[in-house]
Amino acid sequence: MYLYLSLAMTVSAAIGFGYGLFRFFRDESALYVRMIVFGIGCAMLGQLFQTLLLLVTGELDDRFNVGTLGIIGIYLFFFSANFGQMDSIVDDGSPKFRKTRIIALAAPLVVAAIWVAVVVLAGFNEATITLGVVALFLALACYYHLKHLIIEDVSFGLVRSLRSYNLLALIYALLCILEVVFEGLPEVFTVIVCVLECAVLLLFVPVLERGVKKWTT
Amino acid sequence: MDNLSYIAFIAITVSLSLMLPLMEKKVRRLVIFMIVGISSCLFISELNNIFLELFKEDTFYVTTTITPVTEEVVKMLPIIYLAIVVSDDRRIVIPNAFAVGVGFALLENVVILIQNVENVTILWALVRGFGSGLVHGICTVMVGWGISYIRKRRKLFYCGTFALLSAAIIYHAIYNLLVQSDYQYVGILLPILTYIPILYFLKKKGIKASIVSEV
Repeated sequence: MYLYLSLAMTVSAAIGFGYGLFRFFRDESALYVRMIVFGIGCAMLGQLFQTLLLLVTGELDDRFNVGTLGIIGIYLFFFSANFGQMDSIVDDGSPKFRKTRIIALAAPLVVAAIWVAVVVLAGFNEATITLGVVALFLALACYYHLKHLIIEDVSFGLVRSLRSYNLLALIYALLCILEVVFEGLPEVFTVIVCVLECAVLLLFVPVLERGVKKWTT
Repeated sequence: MDNLSYIAFIAITVSLSLMLPLMEKKVRRLVIFMIVGISSCLFISELNNIFLELFKEDTFYVTTTITPVTEEVVKMLPIIYLAIVVSDDRRIVIPNAFAVGVGFALLENVVILIQNVENVTILWALVRGFGSGLVHGICTVMVGWGISYIRKRRKLFYCGTFALLSAAIIYHAIYNLLVQSDYQYVGILLPILTYIPILYFLKKKGIKASIVSEV
């Protein structure tokens, strides 16, 4: 069953990535959206590796595998896009956004709290250390996703147009953590999480496209 | 008998080094980075032996999880040096990054050839030449693309390079996984199918033209 779930996620990410390439790489699109498409490509590679590992060996053991870098990669790309490209446009560093910056810290704190809860329940082992590393990158990216979701829109609708994408990115981060947390629980939880992940991977680019269209209209 | 990796390394690098004084500056830089790639491979072969011992000779796990990480990180270092010291111009970084990758693949192929000299065929040579050569080249180019932002956009360089490094590591691991499985022909096709669109993209961006003009 895990093979089929992994395959479904690979295909979803591949469709999302392929559509992103088709939509944003034919002409000169903003580097911001291209980085998000690269992120989805990274998720696709990570899932492809895990699918092939399942196909070849028949199992995914608890040890670290490079498929995990797919999640780290997608959130590093998302983080790069928000931190390196968008943040300086939407936040000029003035005191009026101080409250927003503080509230946005809730996202990394929630990620950290989930990880601490997992460590308390499952103990300190290779799997929880790996989750800790993943959580670190998720936390970094989630700070900006939440910040850009709630920040006052002073940049001609730029922030508003990307709210749906930032919300999706937060949901995907939560699903990535839940996928690990639900290991050991009844399979139905894993299936639900994976189906939702497929849906989010398919939605990323169309939602982004809808937002980007508003930049020019 | 002395270590065959070192013998192959000396035989190849000495011959290449002898050409250097006769070359024009830009071509010389490409060959130097190829030699750097060859040297990286020698260093990595020693490092990977340590990891093999650490993981109790679990070759499959080490080659699909550890070596893609170590190899990509070590291949990235000379490109960072190039971008900081010489130039972060993408038209310089990308060809030299590919040269590091190809140099790495060159020694790797020679070492594997020496270790399996009884079993190698022309088909094996084609598979290794296209497969390994392209995988190492493509992965280093991916990372080199991020490194080219080192001076232009610092924020993008730090996180973007590591994001691209993650992608390169996974891509490398997929290739290593496939070539050791029953689907090894898919593994061989993977880099070829990736190389063609990359070449098209570089040509569109005008980078390939600059490589030709450099040579």
